[in-house]
Amino acid sequence: MRDVSMGQYYPASSPVHRADPRFKLVILILYLVTVFFCDSFFSFGFMTLFVLITIFLSRVPILKVLKSLKLVIIILVFTTLLMMIFYTDTKSAPLAEWGIFHIYLNGIYAAIKLGWRLMLLVLMPTVLTLTSTPTELCDGLESLLSPLKVLHLPVHELALIMSIALRLIPTLIEETDKIVNAQRARGAAFESRNPFKKIKAMIPVLIPLFVSSFRRADELADAMDSRCYRGAKGRTRMKKLKAKLSDFVALLFWCAITVCILFLNYNWFGWAFITALGI
Amino acid sequence: MSFLEFKNVEYSYVGGDDELVSALKDISLTVERGEFVALVGCNGSGKSTLARLCNGLIAPDGGEVLVDGKPTTDKSALFDIRKKIGIVFQNPDNQMVTTIVEDDVAFGPENLGLKPDEIRARVDWALKSVGMSEHAKSGPFRLSGGQKQRVAIAGVLAIKPELMILDEATGMLDPNGRREVLEVVKKLNRDENMAVIMITHFMEEAAAADRIIVLNKGSIAADGGKELFNTPEVFEDAGLDLPLYVRLARRLNDIGMDVGCPLTADEFAAAVAAIATEGGKR
Amino acid sequence: MIEIKNLSFTYSPKTPFTTQALFDINLRIETGDFFGIIGSTGAGKSTLVSHFNGLTKIQKHSGAVIVDDIDLSVKKIDLKKLRAKVGMVFQYPEHQLFADTVLKDVMFGPKNLGLSNAEAEKRARDAIALVGLDCAEIAERSPFELSGGQKRRVALAGVIAMHPEILVLDEPTAGLDPKGKREIMDLILRVKSDCPTVVMISHNMDEIAEYCNKIAVLKHGRVMGVFSPRELFGSEDLLESCGVELPLVTELAVKLNALGIAVDKSVLTENELFEEIKKAAGAKNA
Repeated sequence: MRDVSMGQYYPASSPVHRADPRFKLVILILYLVTVFFCDSFFSFGFMTLFVLITIFLSRVPILKVLKSLKLVIIILVFTTLLMMIFYTDTKSAPLAEWGIFHIYLNGIYAAIKLGWRLMLLVLMPTVLTLTSTPTELCDGLESLLSPLKVLHLPVHELALIMSIALRLIPTLIEETDKIVNAQRARGAAFESRNPFKKIKAMIPVLIPLFVSSFRRADELADAMDSRCYRGAKGRTRMKKLKAKLSDFVALLFWCAITVCILFLNYNWFGWAFITALGI
Repeated sequence: MSFLEFKNVEYSYVGGDDELVSALKDISLTVERGEFVALVGCNGSGKSTLARLCNGLIAPDGGEVLVDGKPTTDKSALFDIRKKIGIVFQNPDNQMVTTIVEDDVAFGPENLGLKPDEIRARVDWALKSVGMSEHAKSGPFRLSGGQKQRVAIAGVLAIKPELMILDEATGMLDPNGRREVLEVVKKLNRDENMAVIMITHFMEEAAAADRIIVLNKGSIAADGGKELFNTPEVFEDAGLDLPLYVRLARRLNDIGMDVGCPLTADEFAAAVAAIATEGGKR
Repeated sequence: MIEIKNLSFTYSPKTPFTTQALFDINLRIETGDFFGIIGSTGAGKSTLVSHFNGLTKIQKHSGAVIVDDIDLSVKKIDLKKLRAKVGMVFQYPEHQLFADTVLKDVMFGPKNLGLSNAEAEKRARDAIALVGLDCAEIAERSPFELSGGQKRRVALAGVIAMHPEILVLDEPTAGLDPKGKREIMDLILRVKSDCPTVVMISHNMDEIAEYCNKIAVLKHGRVMGVFSPRELFGSEDLLESCGVELPLVTELAVKLNALGIAVDKSVLTENELFEEIKKAAGAKNA
């Protein structure tokens, strides 16, 4: 419960930290789309290389980034195994079989690709949250969504809600931990195997948690009011978002990567293009 | 015209059994710029209610609360009133809006609509004033309770209020944290001439103030300087302890050892020493 | 009796983020002790006591904790028996209240022990009375509409109703006003007649000095020593080396000594200091 690495900022001075959060968000979306287009081992390798370069540039210890995989490792292993077991290939003979399970070479390939893709999908958002403060992310989001204000969408409020949520989630996790311990000390049976009993046992945790969340919300609202908060009206920012040349360069660069991946996958230039690269 | 004035303020709320509970009864008081006031009273005496009335978080049911002559019920004056009066609350975890110290301190000045340079200058100054500059970029989870509360003070300070109210801001801290916060508050009052209302039930903290207001069951039981320690009944009736040295001084006075009414622990020791040596000479 | 032998504890072991919270702790808490545990925030006090009722499992090769006849270092512990024996009151225990009436909340613990409704209710009513609340008036009310001090007493009753033999308290008086603090300490003394062993974590040195008969000082996850209050608070060297705050009475005694009034520095209560001053000044007067 103690290591919640998502949403935890890692302070450092690096080009990735300094980049404009709006560009980082756009690049992230571009990246996620590109990962979905990746199909060949070569393209996965290609993307992984750029993820590693980004991590290196961000000066965040690689272990800190890899820790994010801990949260999804079970899903990762499970889906990969399922893919391997249930993949059916009508064109080639299975490598091994037990009863209804057949393992094909292509199945192994597909499973590896699936796992690899999931890993890539998790790593980059982690780099984003490690290198941008929640304030930056929310400002970036607010700025990117600002055209929607025309539709009377409360963009500022949404960004603020997100910021407060990021701020309070670790506090609430800690609080849950404390309440669970207190009720366990009073003999509550969370250890029970019976699912019905288990759900019933959660009530003494959920109610105090709700009560405390409302109390916190009340107090936070008072604190914000006391600090002259009155919505987006007349509000300025200490850190104004300013796009630098390097942000545009980075965006162009990632656009180029996306195009490359598309070329690779759909083989628009024919194999001659790749052989020309000597690969 | 006083800076802050309560005129016959009444306040009640709906209690557990749907009946009206009177939290404050006929409160009249004034606080001037630069004052250091301790507001003491036991839990449920109405201290926090009084704090929330000062900057219009709640409106009085009767009477008036005036800040620089403007009532807190005037919605159009509320923003100006909150610029002048800031409140630091009890739980440091429930006051931070964001996860980075300097971004949080910037929240107030940002609401004032200041220019980025000015906000930056104020944030740096506020963090320096509370001795937290080196933690500007860290998250709250790596800070101790005392440090978090100093960040909360900086957050209010950056608005440059003329009065800072600390609503039991030391209540959840360990002795070290309490000392840190008290030192910062004393310094702000001394160096920045900022008025302070320190709400507390630690009498040793109250003794640091120039003026003490005792609240008992929603009414003001006493309001004065440290000479109030001469009339300890006031505190006892309000369910409060006197500082240890005052309790001892009273008992010594009772058995005929006249140590007077010392206002600090050092004065007490000196008074006892004076009696002892005087007796020795006799 | 709680016996702690060579206990160590590490958070997130075998990861790059490992931090050791406890180092080779050895302690013996005897039946009948009012045992104080002090140390600054982060010294490992809460981690240590959370071992006493099995909330924190003892790690492999990290020592042992034995509560009466229950060895907590073995794999299968009878948790029900252990939690009936060791009652644990956390910081701000009022935050754990959940039921719609005070009575039901206090009955939660006893019922988890497998007691019948009638027996649980009897225990709950006794406990509510013991913590100084009017059972007839309060039993059917919602715990959420009580005052702060009352809520805390209800939470304490919830643990007391389990009839523990060892009561562990983590800062039982934090956040209360002086009157509330005294009430809680008085009620702990009342409980102690039925529950002979009390372990208390506190930052309030005045309370520690007044109530505890033994005090363990923790610093950076290590036990600096176990002392009687007079030993600890009477020795400035010891206080200095352990990094312990002075209780107010000790502070005053030290100030008086600095001005040449020879009062005993190991005084623990206001009364003792008063008598000492009377004696010291009187001696000079005579």
